[in-house]
Amino acid sequence: MRVMRDRIHEIEQQVMRELEKRLSPEELQELKVRTVGKKGTLTALYKEMRDLRNEFKREAGQLINEVRESLEKAFADREGEMAAVLMERRLREETLDISLPGLPVRRGYQHPLTLVIDEIEEIFLGLGFSVAEGPEIETDHYNFEALNLPKDHPARDMQDSFFVSEEIVLRTQTSPVQVRTMQKMCPALPVKIIAPGKVFRYDDDATHSPMFHQVEGLFVDKGVRMSDLKGVLLLFVRQMFGEDREIRLRPSFFPFTEPSAEVDVSCMICGGKGCRLCKGSGWIEILGAGMVHPRVLEMGGYDPAEVTGFAFGMGVERVAMLKYGIEDIRLIYDNDVRFLRQF
Amino acid sequence: MRVSWKWLGSLVDLSGYSPQQLADILTRGGVETGAPEFLHPGFSGVVVGEIVSAEKHPGADTLRVCQVDVGAAPLDRGNRDGAGLDNLDVGVFVSVVTGAANVFVGDRVPVALPGAVLPGIEGSVAATELRGVASGGLLCSEKELGLSFVGTERSRDGVLILPADAPLGSDLGEYLELDDWVLDLELYPNRADCLAMIYVAREVGALIDRKAVLPVLVSTGDPWAAGTLWPASAQEVVVEAVDWSRRYAALLVENVVVEPSPMWLQNRLRAAGIRPISNIVDLTNYCMLEQGQPLHAFDLDKLAGAIRVRRARVGERLTTLDDVERDLSGDMLVIADDNGPVAIAGVMGGLETEVTETTRRVLFESAHFQGACVRRTSRRLGLRSESSLRFEKGVDAAASGSVLERLACLLGELNAGEPVGFKEQMADIPARSVIVLDVARVAGVLGVAVAADQVREAMERQEFVCRRVTDELKDKVAADRATDTVFEVEIPTYRQDLKIEEDLIEEVARMIGYDMIPTTSPYSLQTQGLRSEEQVLRRRVRHGLVEAGMNEVVSYAFVGEKDDGEWGTADRQVRLLNPLRDDMSVMRTSLVPGLLSVAGRNVARQNSTVAFFEIGNIYLARKPVVQSRPIAELPDEEMKVAGVVCGKEAKHWSRGEVQRGFFYLKGILEAMGKRLGVTFLLERFQSEDFADGFLHPGRSAVVFAGDRRLGYLGELHPQAAQKWDLRQPVVFELDLQVLGKAAKEIGHGLRARTIVAKGYPRYPAVQRDLALLTAETVAAGAIEERIRALGGELLQQAEIFDVYTGPPVPPGYKSLAFSLHYQSKERTLTDEEVDEANQTILQGIQEEFGAERRMT
Repeated sequence: MRVMRDRIHEIEQQVMRELEKRLSPEELQELKVRTVGKKGTLTALYKEMRDLRNEFKREAGQLINEVRESLEKAFADREGEMAAVLMERRLREETLDISLPGLPVRRGYQHPLTLVIDEIEEIFLGLGFSVAEGPEIETDHYNFEALNLPKDHPARDMQDSFFVSEEIVLRTQTSPVQVRTMQKMCPALPVKIIAPGKVFRYDDDATHSPMFHQVEGLFVDKGVRMSDLKGVLLLFVRQMFGEDREIRLRPSFFPFTEPSAEVDVSCMICGGKGCRLCKGSGWIEILGAGMVHPRVLEMGGYDPAEVTGFAFGMGVERVAMLKYGIEDIRLIYDNDVRFLRQF
Repeated sequence: MRVSWKWLGSLVDLSGYSPQQLADILTRGGVETGAPEFLHPGFSGVVVGEIVSAEKHPGADTLRVCQVDVGAAPLDRGNRDGAGLDNLDVGVFVSVVTGAANVFVGDRVPVALPGAVLPGIEGSVAATELRGVASGGLLCSEKELGLSFVGTERSRDGVLILPADAPLGSDLGEYLELDDWVLDLELYPNRADCLAMIYVAREVGALIDRKAVLPVLVSTGDPWAAGTLWPASAQEVVVEAVDWSRRYAALLVENVVVEPSPMWLQNRLRAAGIRPISNIVDLTNYCMLEQGQPLHAFDLDKLAGAIRVRRARVGERLTTLDDVERDLSGDMLVIADDNGPVAIAGVMGGLETEVTETTRRVLFESAHFQGACVRRTSRRLGLRSESSLRFEKGVDAAASGSVLERLACLLGELNAGEPVGFKEQMADIPARSVIVLDVARVAGVLGVAVAADQVREAMERQEFVCRRVTDELKDKVAADRATDTVFEVEIPTYRQDLKIEEDLIEEVARMIGYDMIPTTSPYSLQTQGLRSEEQVLRRRVRHGLVEAGMNEVVSYAFVGEKDDGEWGTADRQVRLLNPLRDDMSVMRTSLVPGLLSVAGRNVARQNSTVAFFEIGNIYLARKPVVQSRPIAELPDEEMKVAGVVCGKEAKHWSRGEVQRGFFYLKGILEAMGKRLGVTFLLERFQSEDFADGFLHPGRSAVVFAGDRRLGYLGELHPQAAQKWDLRQPVVFELDLQVLGKAAKEIGHGLRARTIVAKGYPRYPAVQRDLALLTAETVAAGAIEERIRALGGELLQQAEIFDVYTGPPVPPGYKSLAFSLHYQSKERTLTDEEVDEANQTILQGIQEEFGAERRMT
């Protein structure tokens, strides 16, 4: 029995000594198989145990079990340590240069004009305005006459037209959509639309483009007041240019509104103190507006004694230039990718 | 309208206001006024002198030495002494060396004395010595002084020659009253009245609440009664075209002395931007500026026979004052004598009958011509004048006669002539209109609480007669309105812009100030703001293409005729009658040329990798266009989306360069289609007529969605690409209206999404690869389509994952590899089932395409 005990302890001590060494994972596995494996040295002792006397069999069995347990634990610990080292090594090897650029997923850019139109639309959709449209090539009737601009009226000089024929022009404003929409909707109320689109004027210099974009607005109902116009425009301007913007209305003239107003917004750069952008005035002219002229309501089919309305129109290029600090309108139509990539 | 501050100040008290303050008040009041301009160009130390003698310079042929009397002008002695020019005359004479050839003894000229400052020149004038002769100053030209319209004809090429009565020694700036500001009124067409000083003064008076004091028109008494004072020997005046000329008044003046106007008058004209010419012409301009009524002066002795206001006759011509011969036509109004036209009514007079130095008898015309007629004529002739500008916008017909009284008065003041006859013809002079103004309506339209007194005050400040509505007009007031807050307002004839109640509501708002209008929310019902289906589609396409890597552009809707015709529909091009340039002469019938030019421009600037798209209308005449005949109906406008890609994406560290070619763009379109739930099908062009010469025949396709033809996709034909300086660009153009229909019918719908969602199979999928060897001409897509059909229900996916040509594949053949996914909804598939399905597919393909299975 003593011999048996010694042999058990010897195996134990031998394994413990081996484990002290820096074993490779393979050596560790081999050692484990060689000792506590099915054909391992410690396992073999179970067989020899049969030759012992009965009174010692139990003791020897217990001892082998104890040692086996302790060795297995030692192997497990060692394996655990080794796995941690291996994982560490693997992670180290797998390290990436995270400063390299990502795989290319190309994204394009929306043109600043359509971006601004989208934004204007969203604001007015939120205020319950629908988006209407009309033809870009228009009759003289809708572009001028129905807007209270008879032939040979001096106000026509405000908008030099491109002509297709004597009676057909490239529309000089989005305002014809006013009458077209009213005619379509009459007698339904309210008429509440904005109309974005291309317009054309015979003009080509550093500050004018022969084609540009406007957004028209029209609100016709019973009891629409000029103060409502002011309220709606203030909401719009604050969403478009910032919560602390103010607006100011000045008397103006458009043949299709009466009273008419020029609408200024407090300068988005200096906030009203005066700077280069606002030419020191603190205000920037941003759109034209007014109460729909009774004659235009009539052309749309509505009775001016029953309903009133307001209308406004703004230049999209101007809004985009103010919003994005674009200094030259020609950049907008040049379509150079270095410019477009900013939006 | 250029308004002199001094002149305005003589009509309305401006004390307490600066020019800038007044400009702001006018702008806030609706008369937009630019930054005030100071008239003085900034010289100093320049006085009026007279040439007393002019001798040749002893040392230079081109110079002369002039003795100039400068009156008692204070000389800068320090400067003189410092220069050591002891021989220079002290006191009133200076000796000046000049190179100017246009001055003679007796001329009065501006002399810049030592110490003088001239605009645009550094430092000050110093006494100097020119080739040994001392020069105590400079004789100045208009240009050197920064002036215009001052000198006589002789001043043009040299020293400014001043009038002979210019006071010796006086400061030139004071003499020319340059210590003045000009307010530039940018007038809207409705405020034609503000083209006259007296009405500007009234407007200012109303805005600052001070009463304007206007010149009193002195009536010379009874003889002025229409037509009674007219010498029997004088011309008849006949208005034939009464529809275009409501009023024609003539003043006959004899013993005319034509000479320069007095300086005060010249100064006022100059401040207004008008060149003084002679007293007679200047007076017509002065009265026009003051009263708003254009006048014209004819040399009566050059008129032959009766004066007729009539339509021009075909073939008639007139050389106008600007020495240009004008062809007249039947829709133009002229003033004619027995020999033909002598003036184009309201636009410009004729050269032959103009007033000259020798004129002794003058006929002044003060007429009312129809604005539309003058405007049309002026535009037709490309001739605009201060007169046409005023007539176009509307001249007060009621004042034409009285303006001649003012003229007569000024003629007397200037001793310029003796009025001997007055005559006028009148038809249909509009009476003062009366507008009913309801205070309740003012409040209702403006949304501002306004009292009856405020409304009345707003009217009266503008000198409109305002009274409680009278019985006569009561029926114009709605029955439910209390008439004690309803006014009737008499509109003066010079405010022709005021026609309806709304016009007066604006006048009230102007007077109380637009700032008094509060901000409110409309009472209206809640409404839901909506986009149309077309708009929804456009946004989805736009955002889809942007996300797929394309940049949106916006280009002009007008393009060059030839480029557009090649890509679009040449015989339905809408042509502009007045294009800005040749390359903007027709409305586009395709978006592609515009995109190609954007791409070409970018590539030329080394932005060589491009992917652009545009969404916009093309325009098609309803019928084939006959050259030189403008279309009669509005054209069709069709919304298109088009794009161009070109170049290579730069190498990335993870992979090689990517060609932006056919498949790149096809992939983008497929992705965009997925957003709409639409699968695009490509077919080769059947008839080559479109693709021929423009698209590469082997790399182009017609794009379908279902059986709807949307447009095309293809690489440019190498010849076409060369023209645009692009290498292998690929373009597409699709019709958005058709795409919208497809999206609704077979896709996801537009405003209302019509997606029917399904579950997915829960049994495992089996994947098999199938490699085929087939003739190169066989379309992979056709095989794929057949595979899907043959695979039946079990085949969930079939994708081409490899295409290969080259050894060991024999020439003329290609290898295609498909990845096939089999899956059942009901059970786990067995290998046998899958093998059988695979075998069916293979057999079918072999039979149909002669393809062989390729063992790998």
